[in-house]
This record gives sequence, C-alpha cells and structure tokens, in this order.
Amino acid sequence: MLQGELQSPSFLPWVARHSRRLGLTCEILHADARKVVFKVDGQADLIDAFEVGCLLGPFDVWVETITRGPATSDD
Amino acid sequence: MTTAAVRNAWYPVGLLSGLSLDGKSSLLLGEEITVFGSRDGVPEVESGGRALPVVQRFGHLWTSLGYPGKDLFTIPEADHPDRTLVDVGVVRVKCSPLRAVENFLDIAHFPFVHTDILGAESHPEVRDYKVEIRDEVDEVWATKVEFYQPQAAKSAGGGITTEYMYRVPAPTCCVLYKTCPPRPGEWDVIALFVQPLTEDLCDVWPWMALFDEDSTLTELIHFQQLIFVQDRSILENQIPKRLPLDPAMETPTRADLTSVAYRRWLKRQSYTYGAQLVAE
Repeated sequence: MLQGELQSPSFLPWVARHSRRLGLTCEILHADARKVVFKVDGQADLIDAFEVGCLLGPFDVWVETITRGPATSDD
Repeated sequence: MTTAAVRNAWYPVGLLSGLSLDGKSSLLLGEEITVFGSRDGVPEVESGGRALPVVQRFGHLWTSLGYPGKDLFTIPEADHPDRTLVDVGVVRVKCSPLRAVENFLDIAHFPFVHTDILGAESHPEVRDYKVEIRDEVDEVWATKVEFYQPQAAKSAGGGITTEYMYRVPAPTCCVLYKTCPPRPGEWDVIALFVQPLTEDLCDVWPWMALFDEDSTLTELIHFQQLIFVQDRSILENQIPKRLPLDPAMETPTRADLTSVAYRRWLKRQSYTYGAQLVAE
C-alpha cells in the first residue's frame, strides 16, 4: 500500500510500466488521490527493487509511506 | 532548470587560501562570476555588476546567486583542535553536480572502482543500513553503514570493517563520517563541496578534517585525489548524464537507498539543476 500525494493521472500507468520492466505482475486493488493498494507477484528481490522504485516514484508524485504485507485470500 | 531553491543555495567557489586580488572568472549555474580576494579579509564575488553574498567556511569561499534564507550548514566535528584540516584542491568533472554527490553516497561501487583500497571484490555485499530525511534539519542521513575496506584511510594499517555515516546538508554538498583508525570512538570527516558550473560540468572541492598525526599533508591530499580521480572516469561516462529523478531510467535496489533518499529530498525541494525529471 502506498500513501502520499498520488493524484497524478500518470501514476497508475507508471506503476504498471515499472512492474512490467521488472518482470512482475501487478494488480491494482484500490486507487485514490492519497492511497494506492496493489498486489504484486514475482521474484522477491525484484519486488524489493519495485518497492524502492515506488518510494522515489515519478516526478509529479510524492510517495510518503509504503506498507508491505503478504497477500491474503481476501486479495 | 534554475528554480528558487537552486538560486538561493550556497555554493563553494574557491579556496580561501587561493583567492586573487585581481579576481578570477568562473561560472555558477551557467552564469559568469568573478571571485576576488581581499586585503582586509573579506573576499567578494560579483555577477553582472552585482555583489553576491559570501560566507567563509571550511577553508572555502561560498556564495549564492539568489538570497539564501538560511546560513550555510556547519560541521561541528571540524572544530576539534586535534584535527588536521585538509583543503584538497579542485577537480573539474564533466558531469552533473548532482551525479558527483550521488556517486559519493554510493557504497556499492567501492569494490569495483576503488579496488583494494576502499573495497575488495571478494567483499562486495552492502549490509542493511538506516536512511532518513531528517525534517528537523532538512538533511539526508544514512547511518549504521558498514563495509569491509582493505585500506580505509591513509592512517589504516590494513583491512578493517569501516563504519560510515553519510550526511547531505545541501543539494551539492555531502559529508562522510567514517571510522577513524587511530582514534576509536571518533569519526574522520570527509566532505565533498560541489560548484555547479553548468548542468553537465562541475568543480569538486574535497575537504577533510582528520585525526592523523603520521601522514604529511601532501600524503593526505594525494590519497584523496587518487580516490577522486578513480571516481572521475566513472562520473564522466554515466548515462543519462543528468541525475534521473524518475526511477524508470535506472533500477535502484536496497543498496541504493541513500541515493533514493537524496533524489526524494531533491524532488521535495524542487532542486532540479543537473537533474532529469522524466524518463525518456
């Protein structure tokens, strides 16, 4: 889950592109101007790299915090 | 791009010991400046007929093209009377000023660029460390950084695990605190002050405050220059030339968290001179 100033319309396409570049599958579960929740599958160290990339994010977005947890059956 | 944050920052423009009464031309953020020494002890910097603000600190003269809202940062450790203060000089590098700072913050390159000095190819791993943007001082700090080094300092007798702290107190300056071989419990201080000549060209002024009673000043300067010359060949060949503030240009990993914090901090204060904002 990402929280911050995430209202840029370019952000979700950026997330999709960045996850594809790392060979991950990414499913957006929730998105609003302050919070985006997604489920990511793939190699563990590449998920780490995805997290680090999201922390910086594109120039017009400010990611304040990232919360990670294992996927649940509700996801 | 020259934003208010860029113009209002302090920048080093010369060694206090090397100023000329006749003036010396230089560039700052692409604008011509002239740096003058002074008989009465207060050097001057002019740009377009305007006298710029000046500060004398850490053996260097600092100025700004704008109107700095805060004083230049301090390095309290440098006031310790037993330390040797070393003005290393200047190295001109064809790279973004932000790239020069970011390279200084990067530990992972030590085994491969500074082989058998600051790192060994047999010990390339970067252990987890702590990185934060300290809001109360508006600085980036990385602490608990540990790395095996065959020759950590001129004063080191052999290989040791060195502990580092990195501090970015201004957009084009960084300060490294590292284990001091002759004085356990104290930190050696090595700083890099970068003068942005243009977005792709900079003068780098390394400076040190060390506990080292054995080495001569010349030996200390040569050691630091050796390290920086090794960095220069890497810096001048980086692609993209400007520091990407969009991670799609490069793929940062956990070892790069200091660099990521630095880029986040630049982004937050809209410091974009020498940066590339969007992936191409």
